[in-house]
Amino acid sequence: MKLAVELGGLRLKNPLVAASGTFGYGAEYEGLLDLSLLGGLVSKGLYLEPRDGAPTPRIVETPSGLLNAIGLQGVGVRAFVKDVLPRLARYDTAVLVNVCGDTVEEYAEVTRIVDGAPGAAGIEVNISCPNVKKGGMAFGGDPRMTAEVVSAVRKATRLPVIPKLSPNVADITLFARVCEESGADALSCINTLLGLVIDVETRKPRLAFGTGGLSGPAIRPIAVRMAWQAAQAVKIPVMGIGGITCAQDALEFLIAGCRAVQIGTSNFVDPGLYERVLADLRAYLERHHLQDVNEVVGTLEFPGQPSRKEVAP
Amino acid sequence: MPANRHATLVAREPLDEAYFLLTFRHPEIAHSARAGQFVMIKAGVSVEPPLRRPFSILSVDPGEETFSLFVKAIGEGTRALTRLAEGEVAQCLGPLGRPFTRPEAGTEAVMVAGGYGIAPFFLFARELRAANRSGRVFYGGRGERDLQLRERFTGLVPLVTATEDGSLGARGRVTAPLEAFLDDRAGAVRLYACGPDAMLHAVARVAERRGIEAEASLDPWMGCGIGTCLGCVVFTQSRDEARAKYRCACTEGPVFDTSLVVWPGETESRARRRAKVEA
Repeated sequence: MKLAVELGGLRLKNPLVAASGTFGYGAEYEGLLDLSLLGGLVSKGLYLEPRDGAPTPRIVETPSGLLNAIGLQGVGVRAFVKDVLPRLARYDTAVLVNVCGDTVEEYAEVTRIVDGAPGAAGIEVNISCPNVKKGGMAFGGDPRMTAEVVSAVRKATRLPVIPKLSPNVADITLFARVCEESGADALSCINTLLGLVIDVETRKPRLAFGTGGLSGPAIRPIAVRMAWQAAQAVKIPVMGIGGITCAQDALEFLIAGCRAVQIGTSNFVDPGLYERVLADLRAYLERHHLQDVNEVVGTLEFPGQPSRKEVAP
Repeated sequence: MPANRHATLVAREPLDEAYFLLTFRHPEIAHSARAGQFVMIKAGVSVEPPLRRPFSILSVDPGEETFSLFVKAIGEGTRALTRLAEGEVAQCLGPLGRPFTRPEAGTEAVMVAGGYGIAPFFLFARELRAANRSGRVFYGGRGERDLQLRERFTGLVPLVTATEDGSLGARGRVTAPLEAFLDDRAGAVRLYACGPDAMLHAVARVAERRGIEAEASLDPWMGCGIGTCLGCVVFTQSRDEARAKYRCACTEGPVFDTSLVVWPGETESRARRRAKVEA
């Protein structure tokens, strides 16, 4: 049975990827699970310099979800390239680097540093973090800035460029198309939804930053809808993200048109879930007499629409 | 090395309406856990509530390959755990985090617990006895019912209680009998604290005033327990660091030297202040 997928030059041995910000730099999970089980992993967001991140409290649990404002605390791209990338080389998994910046130039510079080091399989462009004052969602919510950042990253690397889109926009297809036109090879959809939890006793936000990004099963239907819209709007492949806990959830994204998926918050809940999700994914394909996971991609039969891709005979 | 596995509940002992002793089978924790370490655990495999919860390890039984937790049912996650029936499973990752540092020979371990913060000190008291070290416990809470498990320390280490409502032991904060003890004690001591943040900070101040070493087990909200979500960070500063920085309570704690913590209302750690005075 074939589980390998390809996204704009990025080859994954299976469609399961650990999402940025939920898997550290990868090495933290050594010993808890075999990283070679993963199709890929995306590093925590990296700037040129180390960052302190947001004040505490930084996380609060919500119904079927998690609201966070970590604020992109991180070691900086140079430490990552020097200390972490070589360590991940021993695993048979694609390492994607999530690239951040306060300015367009910083995105390009971080990308150049990753491009110049061996070990990275692709660049995920973070234009959607809701928990920083500059960059992040401020860029990903503005089509002109989105185009500038993605074009700058495109020029800085030969690696596949994968912008991670914000759901906090009126029309995600506009941003998907802007990214495609700016040279993106694939898209990650979606980042967290902007949320607010209030402590009614103190009448203050529960998070020190104020607002935060909502993730987890609570956002899955929204994520599936937005990934589906993005996948229809562009020719480049889409990686679906949002509240995946099991193979069924992953399949929703694949059927909606995503070529691969990222697993985020569930890494916190059960670091061992990849083995289970892969086994269940295989069982599903077998049950549906499919030899190749790609055969399920984009097979959604949506009312009133001709099916976009026929299931292979 | 921590292990992530399904852990079967083998014993469930209600202590009163809110407090429970839960014993799970988990060989890695039973064989290697040290006092101050914790587990991330969640009842069953349900989605709700999403996150696992951190708990200090109360005791281990390597022979039976089990460990026990002291759980107060407060919210959804803790209630779900206390509703597990014997034979049912929890998802459990552990042992995690940095344990308490054992005192040197001749130094007495003075443990200060608030409410369910007593949990790690039962394992610690057993470790101390096995290592032939002396220890004692000061145990405080709002009232008598918050001082569960106190009888279980009988024959292990001396235990002094204090309650804010005066229902058991000295009336008031637990730091009062602690300070009275330290006033009279001539030999070397090392403080260990686990409980509410205000109590930890109070113990840190006692340690600073008296120039003694202290460790506190901090209990911030945790997402993952293994240093990836960066949700549980604590503001800390070593003597060599010009600026304070965030350290994960799950991997660099939960036990911290109190002199490294930048406590609420402070701008620098005690370690840094001391380094500047010495320079």
